[in-house]
Amino acid sequence: MTDSVRAKPDDSAIVRVRGLTTVLNGKTIFDALDLDIPRGKVTAIMGPSGTGKTTLLKHITGQMRGQSGEVWVDGRNVPALRREQLFELRERIGYLFQNSALLTDFDVFENVAFPLRQHTALPEVLIRNIVLTKLQAVGLRGAARLLPSELSGGMARRVALARAIVFDPMLILYDEPFVGLDPIALNQVLKLIRTLNETLGITSVLVAHELAAVQQVADHVYLIANGKVVAQGDPKTIASDGSPWTRQFFGGEADGPVPFQYPAGDYAASLGFKGGA
Amino acid sequence: MNAPRDNIVTRSLAQIGDCGLFLLQILAAVPRSMRHARETVRQLWFVGAMSLIIIMVCGLFVGMVLGLQLYDVLSIFGGTSATGTVVAIAIYRELGPVVTALLFAGRAGTSVTAEIGLMRATDQIAAMEMMAVDPIAYVAVPRFLAGIIAMPLLCCVFCALGIFGGHLVGVSWLGIDNGTFWSNMTATVDLVKDVLNGVLWKSMAFGGVVSLIAVFQGYTTPPTSEGVAYATTRTVVASSIAILALDFVLTAFLM
Amino acid sequence: MSQRPSYAVGTGLFIVLGFAALGYLATQTTSVANTSRGPSYTVEAHFANIGQLKERAPVKVAGVRIGQVQSIVLDPGKETADVKLAIDQRYDKIPADSVATIFTSGLLGDQYVGIQYGSSSKALANGGTLALTRPAQQLEEMLGKFFGAGGAADNLGGSYTVKARFTNVGALSAGAPVKMAGVAIGSVKSVQADPVKLDALVELSIDKKYGQIPDDSAAAVFTSGLIGTQYVAIQPGGSPDALKDGDELVLTQSALQLEDLIGKFLVNGSGDKKPDGAPASSSSSPAGKR
Repeated sequence: MTDSVRAKPDDSAIVRVRGLTTVLNGKTIFDALDLDIPRGKVTAIMGPSGTGKTTLLKHITGQMRGQSGEVWVDGRNVPALRREQLFELRERIGYLFQNSALLTDFDVFENVAFPLRQHTALPEVLIRNIVLTKLQAVGLRGAARLLPSELSGGMARRVALARAIVFDPMLILYDEPFVGLDPIALNQVLKLIRTLNETLGITSVLVAHELAAVQQVADHVYLIANGKVVAQGDPKTIASDGSPWTRQFFGGEADGPVPFQYPAGDYAASLGFKGGA
Repeated sequence: MNAPRDNIVTRSLAQIGDCGLFLLQILAAVPRSMRHARETVRQLWFVGAMSLIIIMVCGLFVGMVLGLQLYDVLSIFGGTSATGTVVAIAIYRELGPVVTALLFAGRAGTSVTAEIGLMRATDQIAAMEMMAVDPIAYVAVPRFLAGIIAMPLLCCVFCALGIFGGHLVGVSWLGIDNGTFWSNMTATVDLVKDVLNGVLWKSMAFGGVVSLIAVFQGYTTPPTSEGVAYATTRTVVASSIAILALDFVLTAFLM
Repeated sequence: MSQRPSYAVGTGLFIVLGFAALGYLATQTTSVANTSRGPSYTVEAHFANIGQLKERAPVKVAGVRIGQVQSIVLDPGKETADVKLAIDQRYDKIPADSVATIFTSGLLGDQYVGIQYGSSSKALANGGTLALTRPAQQLEEMLGKFFGAGGAADNLGGSYTVKARFTNVGALSAGAPVKMAGVAIGSVKSVQADPVKLDALVELSIDKKYGQIPDDSAAAVFTSGLIGTQYVAIQPGGSPDALKDGDELVLTQSALQLEDLIGKFLVNGSGDKKPDGAPASSSSSPAGKR
């Protein structure tokens, strides 16, 4: 592990992960992970499937807790928070689910209004104005009365984004925001992430696989593999970092540090040949 | 949760244990869910008002068939004038609460299980967690309370339609005297023992048990389409067994 | 909230409908429907036997309900039940010499008090008493032959004991009723086997009221109906002398055992085909006793 990999303490970091170790069902997901997410920037977290990128987001929001280590979010250690404090913190974090997770019982308007209705006693006029503003921001003010089942995947994701920003959070976590979108919808989402970050100064963390998209939007990239940060840096240059991990991941090679073969016993032996012995 | 679940007995026991713990969680969340009263009203609409038609039709037919059968048997003893009494007592004490609860499990319980299962499969529960809304208080408790409130009301409607059905067959069709039908009924049926103990308390308990099982199954099933389908079946099976077993216990206590 | 959700109205309707149904059940189909609502006045009636009459049972004239039974009290020292009837104020022209009778509505119905008007021009007043009453027809006595005999007769006036010997008492046990003309006049005090005479000695405890039973009366063990319990029936004789305490009834008829009857029938039916010298094995027990 090189020096550049080790995250340095930084006061501007909104999320600071220190020595996070998580074991799930006997499999080590994070092995003393250190990671900083700078305030006001767009940070992308990349890595091969199954390395726990989504799990990392869940650690930041307190949905999961590791065996050891600290996750500091805006000066508070998430694993040590009580439920009420956690809820307080979550009100200031937006989270965009991979499958949008809109409430199927409500139409688009009520979905976006949901957090407002749950946490505030604002007058209806005000709620209406806030919701329509957010819907306008994602370009779906006209779809306010549609049901989630009537939306396309890209539209649903934009509604979910409107819902995530309805409280003007300090931090938005995007879980695979580009998956399953056609190029038009993908670019719309990309534009939104960029706009939200630039106009509102919201810190964004996105988990993604698509290097091209990430290069357009992210300020900083972490590459996670084997429970550790294996590479980080500017998205334009990280691909040419030179480590075997980046070469395999960004080069899209079938075999490398991430083996093609799932760990198994001796091939010849399991076929019944006594070859090796 | 890590207890060995190798055979059906330990598995069932573990399920009952988990269900009991879940009930405690729900009860603890009841005060918190008071601000979601609107959601409770909405659930009352889905589990209660939407079940009304099936309950009414079934109540009517149960009353009618009871009137027919009892008239037939009582005529052996020349006691057809007691038809109204026996129809009322049979419906109030047993058939009303039990049949309503079984129908309720089939109509409302399954849809609650499927709905919650799908909410989990589509991350809606997790999304609520993320929006700092307690899903137990927002999703589980309103459905649980709606079941407890809706069941006695449904049962009352069922019983009223049952009496009407019995009257229809007994008086309008088989020719029992209208006054005899009512006066014998009112002379025997007791407000506390039959209507309160039979109809109200029993059905309230059944409503709680059915909606607890429905919510629990939806909440704990693996969030896959297969898991949801399986949980829906289990809701009906477990509810039916629980209703009939609880019916025996309650009858023994309330008699 | 400016916009009221559409389901709220429906839910409200549902709740109203549910409570309406509950109100209907509670007030129209239960005994609550029988509680008199208007003002009423109270009259008393004394019955020798009230049968199954309960409080809140209806009071009827010509089959029409005019009030209800308010209370039923047995005065200590008296042998009659004191029944208070609450009668609706508007029926205030009941003649003072009317007769109160306890009737049963139908075979299985509950009992009620029926009032048959007398001819007196004086009307019953509040607190008045219906002097003429007829006690309840004991349905048990009528049904006793089907559903088993009633309990032991009351020993209010004391009793005396007579003995009777039976060769077979069947299933007779202590506490079984002793009846004359179908009416319970006492109860079986004890049933013992006599070790010397090898028969059953039954002590009958008979109410002192019935002190005029001829001493040549016969006692028989009968069964009330096909499946009922057994009782001792006294068939009065013609002797001028009455039974006294400690006397013995000489003429007795033992219990007809259903098993014996069936046994006889079976044995007679199959006995012809059986060779005489056949070992008496399977069918021997009923035939052997004979």
